[in-house]
Amino acid sequence: MAERCAVVGVGQTHHAKVRDDVSLAGLLREAGQRALDDAEMTWTDIDAVVIGTAPDSFEGVMMPELYLADALGAAGKPIMRVHTAGSVGGSTAVVASHLVQSGVRKRVLTLAFEKQSEGDTTWALGGGRSGGVGAGGYFAPHIRAYIARSKAPEYVGWMVAVKDRKNALKNPYAHLKVPDIDLEMVRDSPMVWDPVRRLESCPASDGACAMVLTDEAGGDAASKKPAWVHGTAVRSELGQFPGRDPVNPRGGQDCAADVYRQAGISDPLEEVDVVECYVPFSWYEPMWMENLGFAPLGEGWKLTDDGETELGGKLPVNPSGGVLSSNPIGASGMLRFAEAAMQVRGTAGEHQVPGARTAVGHAYGGAAQYFAMWVLRDVKP
Amino acid sequence: MAEAPQEEGGPVRFMRQHIALDYKVHVSPLAERFGEQLRGGQIVGSRCPQCGLVYVPTRAFCPMCTVAMGEGDETSLPDRGTVTSFTILTPIQYHGQKEREDYALASVLIDGADGTVGQQRITDVPLEEIRMGMRVEAVWAPEDERVSDPGDRGYGFGNALRGWRPTGEPDVPADAFAEHVL
Amino acid sequence: MARDVAIVSFAQSPSRHGVTETESQMLFPVIAEAIERSGIPRKEIGFTCSGSADYLAGASFAFVGNLEATGAWPPISESHVEMDGAWALYEAWVRLQHGDIDTALVFGSGISSRGDLREVLCLQNDPYYLMPLWADHVSLAALQARALLDAGTATEADLAEVAARSRRAATANPMAQVAGDVTAEAMAAEPYVVAPLRAGDCPPVSDGAAAMVLVAGDRARAVCERPAWIRGIDHRVEPHYPGVRDLTTSRSTRLAAEHVGVGDAPVEVAELSATFSHEELILRDALGLGDDVEVNPSGGALAANPFMATGLIRIGEAFRQINEQGRSRTLGHATSGPCLQQNLVCLLEGDR
Repeated sequence: MAERCAVVGVGQTHHAKVRDDVSLAGLLREAGQRALDDAEMTWTDIDAVVIGTAPDSFEGVMMPELYLADALGAAGKPIMRVHTAGSVGGSTAVVASHLVQSGVRKRVLTLAFEKQSEGDTTWALGGGRSGGVGAGGYFAPHIRAYIARSKAPEYVGWMVAVKDRKNALKNPYAHLKVPDIDLEMVRDSPMVWDPVRRLESCPASDGACAMVLTDEAGGDAASKKPAWVHGTAVRSELGQFPGRDPVNPRGGQDCAADVYRQAGISDPLEEVDVVECYVPFSWYEPMWMENLGFAPLGEGWKLTDDGETELGGKLPVNPSGGVLSSNPIGASGMLRFAEAAMQVRGTAGEHQVPGARTAVGHAYGGAAQYFAMWVLRDVKP
Repeated sequence: MAEAPQEEGGPVRFMRQHIALDYKVHVSPLAERFGEQLRGGQIVGSRCPQCGLVYVPTRAFCPMCTVAMGEGDETSLPDRGTVTSFTILTPIQYHGQKEREDYALASVLIDGADGTVGQQRITDVPLEEIRMGMRVEAVWAPEDERVSDPGDRGYGFGNALRGWRPTGEPDVPADAFAEHVL
Repeated sequence: MARDVAIVSFAQSPSRHGVTETESQMLFPVIAEAIERSGIPRKEIGFTCSGSADYLAGASFAFVGNLEATGAWPPISESHVEMDGAWALYEAWVRLQHGDIDTALVFGSGISSRGDLREVLCLQNDPYYLMPLWADHVSLAALQARALLDAGTATEADLAEVAARSRRAATANPMAQVAGDVTAEAMAAEPYVVAPLRAGDCPPVSDGAAAMVLVAGDRARAVCERPAWIRGIDHRVEPHYPGVRDLTTSRSTRLAAEHVGVGDAPVEVAELSATFSHEELILRDALGLGDDVEVNPSGGALAANPFMATGLIRIGEAFRQINEQGRSRTLGHATSGPCLQQNLVCLLEGDR
């Protein structure tokens, strides 16, 4: 029987294109300190540290847990570093939750980060060689295939881009703030990877996210309302194989089914109050709505079109502004998980979904082949 | 690399440190053999002895069945296929990037193969006319220019192929390749 | 109450320099063998975790290709650490404690020969203060060896003895890369690489892979005649900067050993990831191992050092001591970072 796991503290940095006011360690301390303050704990209260970040070549630091051990108060403690490509922020939180649910640790600090300004991400994504297509270049054909399959109108992508950036205006930590954004501005922005336009794409950010996870006793002792973990799941599938559907990957479907089963969810659209999912290019919102079981195949775009994924809609998606507004790659997955926690704890401030009690956090990575999810509620499982 | 503003005489905000590491990656015996056949103008795939799926380029094992594959499982494929998906890229200029102009990259389902080859160049057609379902044939480099580099972006085709050009055949309907959008 | 988890199978590739196959091609037969020997059908494996490093492979997301060697269809529950496979083992052990799944596959791999490890590992250092010094891991190890010698705890002859003994032991290990019937005198006569370390005190550059299968509960006994139960597994890290640490001891190893209960009963065999000869002396002391403990019968990391698999192999060899040699209590150790900055101890027991 697994131990219960509670999220009792959440912290993140002010995400920006360049955080030249902090070192890599400083970036993590900012997020970690906020999470500990939120948890009303100190660095010495922590039993174990789990960090996650995307490829080392993004900053040029190999195995950064070694360098960061001091800054994260980990001397004398266990520290691990998870690496599962873009989903890493999410899978890191899952690994941290395993430490608690297994009964091995009681208070785990988990962090995820990226300081993209200290490296060259496109160069790193391209393996240091010419002809690197960037993440957008890889996903654009899948987006084209989705649009062709679903016959969704082209403005759906613009709608998501506008919604997430408007949500970001309510998030003090978000990177991109485009107050006058509207559909025409997105439509008229340059095409970067046809059919994906610049304003439909995520930024590159410096940023970090942190959470404090505790066992049931820790959750009970917390003075602020904890978020309780009701399910976690990870799935990996081969990035390329005959007959693969990268538009609606089986790995994502299975990950969602697993986590819903654990949480007792049979009708996601009705039973989930808010979703923070990994949308780096606007069309991924309708695609994930289908993949994660919120909408039937071919109809994910209708949820967007009908305004249901807005903050005031039936299923708010990415009220934080999502990856489209802040994308420190290694942290983005954990930000989704953390924002889900903020929603059920009622600490999301201006972008709070009123009365949110069940939240889903989702991250994906690689060739849309790595998936990590969790379901949180404001009551114990 | 983000260029942070540096005030004249102000505090140092960034120091550049270019780290160059050299790696020597061996051409695997399998890739060596595939490249040899490419130089001879032959595209070869591997047919899994268990599930029968045909992979191109050749593979040492079928990742679906986890069954080893060898020379005996090789099968020749025609140099024609179908564009199953594509994108038009405006190349981002980063250190080492050689591309300057917009170009198209496509996934091509070679006739007889069950998996696509990705990141293939499409040539001899205006970018805006490229479409899913378009029939294409390989554009071979002259024999003495066919250098195979299995670490390249053409999924092992290296310089043997310059790209793929339209054949002029009627487009393949979408549902015929719905399972091969990758 | 920790759930009983055992190692039921282990496989490794022969460590060598300059493999020509790809990393996933190198892994494929190793994983297949570990699964075959485990008696657990591949599709039943509940969780998979691996360790590898992008900077070793010279490509970002290098681990993604390795997924092919696992048979990830239908999609699997899987994770990865950018650390030695020993930490992937730790993660898998933790995962099995939940009780909802009973089996896990763990593997580690690396092709160190692609790059210059002495340059590559410089990137493990603090990027602002240490990395620009290009203090490579051999030079840093030499600093630690020097500290040990200066403290009077060991002599160069002691180092040469470890170097020679490791190579002699490796002659019985077909998976080892460096082996020979050498004497300590011969090792001590070689020139310094970085004083006080000579060639024999340093590990070879190795390419290799290793995999093992874990099974929880009684099922382990059903599939394996003599499983090795993970009696305890723990890891700790120390401050990063060599200058603030006492390099003559390994506090994190001592701490991990205490948490795991190494001292509770006699250990028969210890496989230690001492990649430099002086490290063995430090680790023996930190683990409280007396002279009666057999250390590195496989030849250890001085005989073969497939970075990212070395630690997992130590635990695998400790498993073999129980599974094949009938031992009852062994331990495997893994390390990461400059001068033994981070250490993992895995205590194994066989059924009596």
